[in-house]
Amino acid sequence: MRNVLRLIWFDLKQELKPPVWILVEWFIFTVQLFIYGALISRLVTAPEISNYQQFYAVGFIVMITFDIGTHTGRHFVEDAHEGRLPYLLSLPISRIKLFLSIALQGGFELALMLTVPLAITLFLLGNLAVLSVAAAIITLFGLGFGVAGLMLGLSFIAFKSSDMYTAIVTGLSTIIIRFSTVFYPLIFLPQGYASIASISPLTYGADLVRFLLGFDPSILLNPAYAVAVLAALAVSTLGLGMVLLQRLVEGVKSA
Amino acid sequence: MRELERILRLARSDFAYFFRTKWLMAVLLTLNLSDMLVVALVYGRLMSFDYFRFFVPAVVVMGLFAAALDTGRRIWLALREGVIQYYLSLPISLPGIVIAYLLAGGLAAMVYSTSLLLVALVALPAEAVWSTFVLLPFLFILAMGLAGISASLAALASTHGEYFFAYQQIVQVLLLTISTVYYPISVISNYFPPALISFASANPLSLAAEAMREYTFAGLPIQPMVLLNILLASAPITVIGALAYLFVLRAIRAKGKL
Repeated sequence: MRNVLRLIWFDLKQELKPPVWILVEWFIFTVQLFIYGALISRLVTAPEISNYQQFYAVGFIVMITFDIGTHTGRHFVEDAHEGRLPYLLSLPISRIKLFLSIALQGGFELALMLTVPLAITLFLLGNLAVLSVAAAIITLFGLGFGVAGLMLGLSFIAFKSSDMYTAIVTGLSTIIIRFSTVFYPLIFLPQGYASIASISPLTYGADLVRFLLGFDPSILLNPAYAVAVLAALAVSTLGLGMVLLQRLVEGVKSA
Repeated sequence: MRELERILRLARSDFAYFFRTKWLMAVLLTLNLSDMLVVALVYGRLMSFDYFRFFVPAVVVMGLFAAALDTGRRIWLALREGVIQYYLSLPISLPGIVIAYLLAGGLAAMVYSTSLLLVALVALPAEAVWSTFVLLPFLFILAMGLAGISASLAALASTHGEYFFAYQQIVQVLLLTISTVYYPISVISNYFPPALISFASANPLSLAAEAMREYTFAGLPIQPMVLLNILLASAPITVIGALAYLFVLRAIRAKGKL
């Protein structure tokens, strides 16, 4: 475990000296919530949503979680592209430990990125039970690991073409976010869009977090389905990533 | 070869580079088209006014902004990867390099946003398409101004290269959220303090979005004052951006590095 932590710290310290990206993320969240979220909230008149700003705050947190998950995959591709991956593969640690360090680093980054946005959101929502907050945090991490696993799985496209990988992942990320319930409830999506949204992992993540934080369940998906989908996503994609990493050999080179 | 030809040749090369960056095209197209065809449509169902009609013209301006901002990324790359040393060895003046970048940035943004406009015209009936032709030169100057902002950021981040994207994100979020791109000025007026209301009204993105909504899509007669305002809002940022980039180029030429 010490080796895993050493690897995590080795990468993480680069991002913390100075923590520019964390501060930028916190700043953007604050501006988006208190300017964009507040103003759009004044335009939203649908009676099903009593406070759009709160709905948006949770959506933005889910979006940050998704971004960190995709970042983990991109980081892995950068490692391959810049020649660092063969070095990591040649280290005297097992592949499972290497995979664990990649996944846990994403977890640490997520925890750092979410600290302030989550605190602000919980303050905005108010009146929350410790148990529901803890369950929401666990859900966010489950979603983060699931997305990271998905992106690690996709990252093997990059061994054919890293340009293609970046184009696919960045394009796909935007579409996954828009065709989901991150920023609007499923009942307001047109039929065709709702069908696509119901296969997006973000829909289940966002609705489950909202359910746990006390939003009106009538505008959310059934939480039992959401738990099942997120658990299946996290287990299957992380499993896939682990299998793929086992098959990688030293000397691998990204196109 | 005359200076003008050299400037145009350099601008053409930078212009082509923008459209060849696959990941950038994927991001911009998916972002703007999904804003137009998903976000605008779904938000319209949450609101009691026609948000689709309000937001779709603004997405064209958002596309113009995003594409123009990419000029800064290309300048940042040129500074980081030493391409700038090659540019400095070319038989072209320093102001010529700056003008080439701003021209390419403005033109790339225009071409990209015109493609979005064509999609918008299919999605939303326009009352006066011909008004767009009157707006185009002003939008081009606006795009050069936005490219100027981006050039300033690249110049500002030239010694701490990795900060460029942080600066860019902050500026992008502030300029978009404190504008009438997403919401009408009446909503802003009820919420913001007077200073921010003035900023939102004078924001070049607000001016362009309003012009696009009122003249191209609503078919109202074009007001010369609005066009003048776009010019007045865009010209200073173009000049500031050009001077900042020129300053960086002069420093590199004098010292060999920053």
